[in-house]
Amino acid sequence: MSPNANSQYCPPSVGDDCAPARCRGRCALDVIDELLAAGGTISGEELDRLLDLRSQLRRAEDAEAVLKIFCELRIRMERKHYLAFFRIRRWLENHLVAAVRICPAAEPVFVPVELSHYCVEAIRRVCLCAALRNGPLLAPRLRFAFASAVISSPAEAEMVAR
Amino acid sequence: MSTTTKPASTPVKKDTRLIDGLNLVLADSYALMALTHLAHWNVEGEDFFPLHKAFQEQYEELFEAVDEIAERVRAIDGYAMGGLGTFARAAQMEEFKAPLPQKDYVAALIVAHEKVVDDAVRTRDQAGEVSDLQTQDLMIKRLQFHEKTLWMLKSYLKH
Repeated sequence: MSPNANSQYCPPSVGDDCAPARCRGRCALDVIDELLAAGGTISGEELDRLLDLRSQLRRAEDAEAVLKIFCELRIRMERKHYLAFFRIRRWLENHLVAAVRICPAAEPVFVPVELSHYCVEAIRRVCLCAALRNGPLLAPRLRFAFASAVISSPAEAEMVAR
Repeated sequence: MSTTTKPASTPVKKDTRLIDGLNLVLADSYALMALTHLAHWNVEGEDFFPLHKAFQEQYEELFEAVDEIAERVRAIDGYAMGGLGTFARAAQMEEFKAPLPQKDYVAALIVAHEKVVDDAVRTRDQAGEVSDLQTQDLMIKRLQFHEKTLWMLKSYLKH
């Protein structure tokens, strides 16, 4: 499900309507648009990557790519645009999940994605550690995904609830 | 010649929409007060002293405000919302947990203040529609505080 740039609030997440309380009515796309409009404070390269992030968020298919671009931009731009990156970060935390399989054949366990680190591998490790609390990891596989694409039942939504 | 004095404003009839709006701002303010208190207790780092002090000033102001808002609800013939669970459900503010980086406390409080502003603006306009100037005045006063606080918090985050 693609985020709707025209809606006041974020697209549905984890099976329920996305409540304003969770995303504050400030969809990540809106925040990126504000950054793009900031003009002089953004370099040409940052502008290109912001457009890439916007495009990936609109498609809402490749959460790995979203996180990679977000982390790259966060390192470069957060110091000057802290509030904007806080808003995008919180939006991503509310809309992404990590699907962890203890072995390739197992059913995935969904864990929340916490963006307290600045690189995707560190975030992946934190998610794996969170999943480890629920049992042994034999040959773990982790895939980041948009919650709206992989969470189908209230029980699963409850599982990733923070 | 009439010996009675005309009231300064039209007497307010019980308006459930306005009472609901005021109660939402009450819940928002209470929830924000709790979050600001949490930030006051747990903030740490090089800017500890100014942030600790600023957060204290903010939650103290909010503590006085919730009383004023609740009493306004009673004055227009409604009942004030209460109870921590009820406030939390009504306000739907995203809670944060400690420890956080200093700037995240500030950013999270900005987001929470913005929520109060949205609801207070709506209630101010509803009060205007029914000519309840006292409630409108109270909401304007609340907005002045939240907008000033937003300016200060956002200034802190500026590079």
